[in-house]
Parts: sequence; structure tokens; C-alpha cells
Amino acid sequence: MTDRTPMVIGVGLTPFASNREDCNVRDLAVEAVLDCVRDAGIENLDAVEHGLTSYESDHFNRQMTLGAILHDTLGLNPTPNVRVEGGGATGALALRTAWAYVKSGLCDSILVYGCETNGKSIASQTANQLFALSADVDWEMMVGGTYTAFYAAMMRVHMEKYGTKREQFAHVAVRNRRNAAANPYAQRPMEISIDDVLNSRSIAEPYTLLDCSLLSDGAAALLLATEDWARQRSSRFAERPPVAFTATGCGTDTMRLGDRYPHLTNFAGKRAAAQQAYRSAGITNPLEEIDVAELYDSYSGVEIQAVEDLGFVPEGQGGPAVADGIFDHDGALPVNTSGGLLGRGAPVGATGIAQAIEVVQQLWGEVIPERQIHNARRGLTDTHAGIGTICVVNIFERQD
Amino acid sequence: MSESRVTSLVERKNMQAKWTGERDPWEAFRQVEVITLELTQSYRHSLGKYSRFFLELENGRFLGTRCPTCHKVYAPPRPLCPDCLSITAWQELPGTGTVQTFSVMHFPSLVNDDVRRLETPITLAYVLLDGGSTLFPHVLKTAPESVHIGMRVKVAYAESPVQHPIHLMYFVPLEE
Ligand SMILES: [Zn+2]
Repeated sequence: MTDRTPMVIGVGLTPFASNREDCNVRDLAVEAVLDCVRDAGIENLDAVEHGLTSYESDHFNRQMTLGAILHDTLGLNPTPNVRVEGGGATGALALRTAWAYVKSGLCDSILVYGCETNGKSIASQTANQLFALSADVDWEMMVGGTYTAFYAAMMRVHMEKYGTKREQFAHVAVRNRRNAAANPYAQRPMEISIDDVLNSRSIAEPYTLLDCSLLSDGAAALLLATEDWARQRSSRFAERPPVAFTATGCGTDTMRLGDRYPHLTNFAGKRAAAQQAYRSAGITNPLEEIDVAELYDSYSGVEIQAVEDLGFVPEGQGGPAVADGIFDHDGALPVNTSGGLLGRGAPVGATGIAQAIEVVQQLWGEVIPERQIHNARRGLTDTHAGIGTICVVNIFERQD
Repeated sequence: MSESRVTSLVERKNMQAKWTGERDPWEAFRQVEVITLELTQSYRHSLGKYSRFFLELENGRFLGTRCPTCHKVYAPPRPLCPDCLSITAWQELPGTGTVQTFSVMHFPSLVNDDVRRLETPITLAYVLLDGGSTLFPHVLKTAPESVHIGMRVKVAYAESPVQHPIHLMYFVPLEE
């Protein structure tokens, strides 16, 4: 039996922006998919056997069955389509689903496209309420709770238990926005200082405005296929280093933070997802064996929790490790070279796919020189919903 | 704070064009009309098997549920124990407890008039009720700067009418 591990054939992105008023959600998907078709070195989508639509919110678009509409818009009928939704993890869960579809033999090629208009289509106060609907409505949202506050409450325990400092997570807010400056597709590159973060407006203590990620419009697309399909159909496949989507892990945790008592500092679901993915990829020392990673920095402190839960550093040591620059562009394991959710932006259904695209382009050696990591051979994406309620870790590797 | 590095979308599109060496393929589709749409709706929202918790708040009683098999006490209540799939039993708790973590929210979810009536900032406290096994998230009404992990608090009961019955209670500092 030939190896059915899916290869990445092509990728496509729109710039992420706070307001792509020139586009509706269909137009965004079209831009990303056309970019992907060109990048994949295929003439059209005729040979693509399956579509997979990745978006979180029916509220933002005021359109249900968006998957069917996008599939039609892209001329993919009558091939099969499925829509995947998993909160903030949507894009990564979509890729994980596509991985299984190819691996199982259900199809040899699948186009995964994600899009969202989370930017300015709804006032940000209303947008935050809509996102709060993904909390446990009767018990967390109706009392006035927000995701910023749930994350902040976790971080407060992390600070109390491990001595993590605001300056340490502010480092993430500064670094990721600086990384975004080398990404022409990023929404909000900024050159700011740690003091700027500490002194910005308080949102939910200890988090300030600059600790928080962005609401974005945007789309991302990625074509996966077997190596056999790629050799027959893609004119570019043989031109660039082959990159496979080698492993995927998924873990979950309770909806409400309070139900995790007494374990409040970290993401158990992320730990489970990482362990699964590492086992499958044969990784035993992730800090050494992973060359580049896109981490889910919905809030600056979340990256500190993530480097612990992904096993890059022991639990409680994320703060000092981040502040030491281990995860900076010139550090041992550069993370969020794209700018992350803080600097590049976060159109939810596209986010996990865009993270994969950054990693794959780093492995291909195709990002602009200022942000290229040299000789990167293995990369990881970390994406989650809620407060680590659904966690997905995907791993991509050069095969040459 | 310097925002000099912040580039507008148009500038970035130009950078993109410069980078890829292409002209805008959508040039003929750049006229844009934006309209405003409204959508409001009311839901008949059943509180289902959780209802008794809310009904008893009107009587000034705070209930959790207890698993008869593994003895965990859930507050907020769970009709089903997720640890062993047993159907739980209601159990009254004294309503006193300890703050395990909290956040002071300057921009709460203004989801109902009950929240809109509160003075911001609002402290969202996660309280381990005495006799409980999980943390209950709710508003702690006191000066935000006085709140700390380990603080003793108790359930206070509010008068009807409220929009959502979860606002029949809140937390206040316990004076011991
Ligand atoms: Zn039980």
C-alpha cells in the first residue's frame, strides 16, 4: 500500500484586515482559493475531489449553509463538501479532518478553505457578545463574563503559583506585533515597548488592550493530496521541497474554567493534543525537534501557557523562557513568525489554516527573507477553542 | 507608542502588488456598496433540569448537586455526573466559600439589563463553595482593589424581577 500521508500541494491567503469592506465573505474565500490554485500549480479545481469549508460563525455572516454557497461559488459541484466548526480551533480542526479524509482513502485530494468577516461587520461590543455565546451561556455569559476575563482569571493563578509577571507576557505582545512588520499580509504590525503594553487600557485585569488579539476579516486556503495525485496534477510539486502533514492531535477540556479546579493554570486539552501528535510524529524532545511554530496567542499570556503545555519548557517556566527570547525570531524555537493572532490577525475559520500556511511556507523557504527561518524542517501549529476547550496540534515536515 | 510601522490595507495591497509584480486582477470589481441589516429575536429558553437551582434562589436557598456514586458536589449543578454518568441529587449548600481566582472586567458582556445595571468595573469571581467540588463564577460586589485569592465570600440574594434568574444571586464579602 502506498503512503497516504497528505502532502501540502498549495496555499493561498488574503491579507488580514480589520475591515475588508470591498469584499463579502464569498469574495474573500475566492481570493484565497485563487491564490491557492496558482500556488499549487494546477490549472483549475477540476481534479480536486473534495471540499472542506471552515468557518465558525453563522451570526457574523447572517448566512447559514455557507459551506454549500462557497462550494458552489468556487465551482466545486458536484464533488462532496463538509463544513467543520470547532470555535477558535475551527481551521486546525478542518485540516485535521481533511488529514483523516485523505489518510482513509475517502479522497486523494481535498481543498480546505476558511473565511470569516469578524472585523467591522458588527460593532466590537456586539462581536464580543457573539463570541461570548461560545461560553456556557446560562452560567458564564449571563453574569457578564467575557473570554478576556476567563483567560485573565487563569493567568492570575499562573502568576500567583509560578511567579509569572505581566512584563513576561507583555514580551509576547511586543514580539508578535514586531514579527508582523515582516509580513505584508498582517493586519496590525506595531513597534511598541513593554511599558506600552503595561500602560495600555485595562480590559480584564491583568490583561490590557495590547495583550488582546484582533478581530479580522480574511480567508485562507490549503490544498492537501496524496503524493501520487500531486505528481500527476501539480506542476509545482517537484519544484519545491516536499512537505507532508505528518501528524495531528486533538484534546478537549471542560467548557467552564471552574470545573477544572484545582487545575486552573494550564490547558490540559492542549497537553493531550500535543502528546498525541508527538507520539504519532515520533517526537520526544519538542524544543529540539521542532524548528518553527505558530502558537495560538489569543492573549499574550496564552503563549506562555502554550509553550508549557506543548512541552517546550516545564510547567511554570514559560514566563522566564519567553522573556529570555527563546521563542523570538533569532531564538532556539521561533514562534509566531507571521505575527500571530496579536499581529497578523484572527478571522476565526481562517486562523488555523493561516497558521499552517505560515509553517508550510517556512518549510518551503518561501516567506520574505526578513522573516525566513533557515533550514526549518519540521513545524507545528497550536490552535484552540474557548479557554483550551478544544485543542488541535498539527505537525508538518519536509520529506526530502 | 509608535504606530509609524502600521500600514494601511491599501498600502499593503500595493506592497503585495510590488512583491508579486502584478496589477489588481479585480480592478473592474472595486465599486462597493455597504448596507445595514437588522436581526432581533426572542428565544423561549428552557432552563430544563437546571431549573430548580434558579427557582430555589427565589427562596434564598443555594443548591448544588451531589453524585451518589463518587460524591462530587457540583456548583453550578450538573444533573449528570460526567465522571461516572450517575444521575445526581440536589444538595443545599451554606452559600459561603473562598475566591480561587478572579478578574476585574472593565468591559463586561452587556447581555441583559441585569449586567447593564451593575457598576463597572465588575469583579468576576470563581468561588469554591464550602461543601462544593467545583468553582462557581459570578459577580463579587465589593471594591475591586480589596479582592484577593483566598478571600472569604458568601452568596447574597437579590429581589425579582431580573431578566435572567442567575442574577437572583451574587457574591459579597463574608464578615467573619
Ligand atoms: Zn460521579
